[in-house]
Amino acid sequence: MTYMWALYAREVKRFQKIWMDTVFSPIVSTILFLSVFGIVAGGQEIGGLPYVLFIYVGLLSMNIVNSSFSNPAFALVIGKNTGTIVDLQLAPLRPWSIGVAYALAALTRALLTIGLAVLVTGWFIPELGINNPFLLLLAFSLTALEFGMLGVTFGMWAKGFESLTFMTTFVMQPMIFLAGVFYPIANLPAPWDTVSAFNPLHHNINLLRYAVTGYSDGNPMISLVVVAALAALVFVAMHLSTKKKMRAL
Amino acid sequence: MLPLLVSQVSKTFHPSKRPVVEALKTVSIKIEQGKIHGLLGPNGAGKSTLIGMLSGMLLPDTGKIEIFGLDIVSDTLEAKKLIGVVPQEVTYEMAFTVREVLHYFSGMHGVPSHERNARIEAVLTDLDLLDKIDERAKHLSGGMKRRLMIAKALIHKPKFLILDEPTAGVDVALRQKIWQLVRRLNQEGMTILFTTHYLEEAEQLCDEITLINHGQVVREGNLKDMQTEFAQNSIHFELFDINVPHLAEVKSIGVEFEYPLTDLGPDMHALTSHYTGNIKSIKSGAASLETIFLELTR
Ligand SMILES: Nc1ncnc2c1ncn2[C@@H]1O[C@H](COP(=O)(O)OP(=O)(O)OP(=O)(O)O)[C@@H](O)[C@H]1O
Ligand SMILES: [Mg+2]
Repeated sequence: MTYMWALYAREVKRFQKIWMDTVFSPIVSTILFLSVFGIVAGGQEIGGLPYVLFIYVGLLSMNIVNSSFSNPAFALVIGKNTGTIVDLQLAPLRPWSIGVAYALAALTRALLTIGLAVLVTGWFIPELGINNPFLLLLAFSLTALEFGMLGVTFGMWAKGFESLTFMTTFVMQPMIFLAGVFYPIANLPAPWDTVSAFNPLHHNINLLRYAVTGYSDGNPMISLVVVAALAALVFVAMHLSTKKKMRAL
Repeated sequence: MLPLLVSQVSKTFHPSKRPVVEALKTVSIKIEQGKIHGLLGPNGAGKSTLIGMLSGMLLPDTGKIEIFGLDIVSDTLEAKKLIGVVPQEVTYEMAFTVREVLHYFSGMHGVPSHERNARIEAVLTDLDLLDKIDERAKHLSGGMKRRLMIAKALIHKPKFLILDEPTAGVDVALRQKIWQLVRRLNQEGMTILFTTHYLEEAEQLCDEITLINHGQVVREGNLKDMQTEFAQNSIHFELFDINVPHLAEVKSIGVEFEYPLTDLGPDMHALTSHYTGNIKSIKSGAASLETIFLELTR
């Protein structure tokens, strides 16, 4: 494991060292959300799908997005504050490979968190199955990498924790809430249904939900194309940001 | 192939809402294979800015930097593999142990997994840090953290080592040890560039020095030549009491005074008779680096 793989291994080690924060707390929050919504919604259905299953997949998807974004973003900002960011500047690594190493670590963390979460909470949802395992793996990886690379991009530009908190509170959270985690976007009053349809995150959640349950808000193949295109776009943004910032910090 | 060739490099910073800083103005430096080169200059002279550019962390505005013939801007990856850098700022490792820091950092420089443990132990032995190998890096003392930074720079066996104030905040005994290590690495063929504010350190170690001030090279070359040049035309002396009437030709330089030398015998006589009983030391030999430094950066 040399060059970018050593960086990947380092970043995996980093979140393992603080696993209470990185792995355990998302599981707890999923359980809390699930118990509240499970009680409120008990027995309702959406397009033939039990509401609790609808929301379960939504919550797990939200977790993938959140943890993939924050893992690299916070690691980089911490690096800027502690000075260890110079390790990235000194290493003979291409800008894109720095970002990919961080994004793969984010994917690893998401797989571990979600795997554990399903292990702990899956048996509350008897209807849980996998509609399309291959698509699930693809959608999962694309989503985690897309938001992992977005986290790298923001981590590169962020001056401190304030700008990251701003980003999560004012951009990520509203995007998540308008992405159809808790309800189908068709149920939203105008103009929020239209806004949601243009929310890129909606397609990640929709695709993941389709892969798991077979239920989709609109054509799942459109969601797949949007997710893949966005991942490619974020890759370019990540590479350019890393190239610029690693030579000017 | 020269380990380092810097030609006409300049760098200006544009901090937001503050005046621009011309940190370096067309600086050129050449370092030959196997030399220990000292980069000296007062605070803010531009030393770290230059080192940032040599190590590929900063882009020069103009000019060209070559490491063993490789352009640091266009051949960054290959050039970076050949250099080891100790940055001036000590970094703070939140989570990792000394072993982990070195394990991952060496991996990022291409050291294969199976070689890492042996290398880590060897380099920590050299730096007298082996007993701290499984300690959390953030729990090390300041001097130990500095040594860990040196270990990181050496772990991939670079051919050219760049040290930005490696002995700042390090105690006397350890400083000697670092000097010994630098000398040994140099004898083994490593070319070394370092900055320091301890001038006796530069005097001890360097084959050549480059003195920069306000972003410009004010003097470069062999230390011996510089010393004889400065010694040729002056006498340097120290006084017990400096608040006395001085001869018109006497200039004060730091703790020392300087008197223009024309003819040694009469000059000495003039000084000793004027400052009777007040002269602590006097020499017409080589000027100390300190004197040269103060003279040139005035
Ligand atoms: N990122 C930056 N933004 C703005 N100004 C900078 C930046 N880095 C350095 N400078 C300025 O450039 C000048 C040279 O700084 P530099 O750190 O290279 O000095 P130095 O010779 O290493 O000094 P010291 O001996 O104190 O380490 C200083 O005026 C400094 O304030
Ligand atoms: Mg400096």
